[in-house]
Amino acid sequence: MIERPDMAPPDVDLDRVWTGVAAQVWRREPPRLERAAARLLRSPGLARALLTTPSLLAPWLIASVVVLGAGTIATAGTGEPLVWLIAPALAGAAIAYAYGPGIDPAWELLCSMAVSDRMVLLVRALAVFALNSVLGLAASAASGTAAAVTFGWLIPMTAVCALALAVATVTRSANTGAAAGSAAWIITVLAGQATAGKFTAVVTEAVLIIPYLAVAACCAAIVVYATRIPRGTS
Amino acid sequence: MNIELTDLTRRFGRNQAVAGVSLEAGPGVLGLLGPNGAGKTTLLRMMATVVPPSSGRMRLLSRDPGAHAQRREIRRRLGYLPQNLGYYPAFTVVEFIEYFALLKEMPPSRIPKAVAAAVEGVDLGTKARAKLRTLSGGMLRRVGIAQAIVNDPELLLLDEPTAGLDPEQRVAFRTLMRDLGERSTVVVSTHLVEDVGAACTEVALMDAGQIVFRGTPAELTVRGKDHGIGDAPLERGYSAVLAAARS
Repeated sequence: MIERPDMAPPDVDLDRVWTGVAAQVWRREPPRLERAAARLLRSPGLARALLTTPSLLAPWLIASVVVLGAGTIATAGTGEPLVWLIAPALAGAAIAYAYGPGIDPAWELLCSMAVSDRMVLLVRALAVFALNSVLGLAASAASGTAAAVTFGWLIPMTAVCALALAVATVTRSANTGAAAGSAAWIITVLAGQATAGKFTAVVTEAVLIIPYLAVAACCAAIVVYATRIPRGTS
Repeated sequence: MNIELTDLTRRFGRNQAVAGVSLEAGPGVLGLLGPNGAGKTTLLRMMATVVPPSSGRMRLLSRDPGAHAQRREIRRRLGYLPQNLGYYPAFTVVEFIEYFALLKEMPPSRIPKAVAAAVEGVDLGTKARAKLRTLSGGMLRRVGIAQAIVNDPELLLLDEPTAGLDPEQRVAFRTLMRDLGERSTVVVSTHLVEDVGAACTEVALMDAGQIVFRGTPAELTVRGKDHGIGDAPLERGYSAVLAAARS
């Protein structure tokens, strides 16, 4: 579209030369983390989509570290195991904010891309879950609580994350998903206090593992169903 | 034919946005005209494989978008500019276009040149490294067009592409559309009949979820003879067809 004086010999396509130059000048080497993710996922597009996850960006990660750090200090100071109370709710919110029309600015475009939006959802959810698990485990280890409490919250956290993701996907609202996950966890903790007389019952009672896993499985099925594209119409 | 739609419908609850559209289109620029709520955006979203139809038959680029593998092939060859383009404010122009080139599964070795060509194609070379949050509405629209054309699509779907563009940019964009229409199918949803007159080889006029006219811009103009509403001949044709459809 830019007019250029015709000074070149006839066998030189200046536009093509300029495009080649611009491509070199504007070229950006992907960060090491993205290159590693691309190799692991065998898809550069999926790797880039993973690194744009809202709840994997620096401000969110810093906020998570601060919250868990405060929980660790409070646990060490009071002797109350607060980390396990915080970690599942925090991870549930992070999962709800990983993907969806309410949180991803280019969601409409993402839905028309060759890289499957369901794959983007899966990869982002797994990455957020893994990262929050690592952060939570580090906080638990640092707070020095009993081993059962330290690792007991991982399975409830799976259920809370699955619930938050399912609600966020079905309602197309990250806020609603985060609220549902947090509310469900708070109700569970309070119910544990009311029935067993201690807050930690919800993470130490082995009998609850099956219900937690059942909730997680049901929610995962809901997510799979909600993200399908029906094929009977074409 | 790159687009084959047969009796396509789409409902959102009680609202029937598209009510039995049949359409075939090959290479060229097809303008989708119609009043607000006519169903243009929903039809475009179905062709972009963003929403599935409620009923009817749809084939795009001789493939079935209902089948996973074929939908993926369609999406690799598709360019889509939604009505509301969401963007990542911290991305630069090049990063944004490159991101969607990757998601369209273009070979990574081809991407830098394709991105540069798309950026130059919409005349944003001087803003290539600017953050999207610093751009004006018209520039963002051009970024959206660039991501749509980066893969040299066989099927290009543009929803209100000229919204926010100044007259000079609009003229340049019409030239770009005509060029693209020589080798691929371009469908442009617009309110601006002058865009249709200047760039489209065919027009489909929608009202209440149905196509009420299909023809060339010249044929639409003829329909407006002896019709009083509208400043330009095409506008009079548009008004006459709509009035006839509603009577």
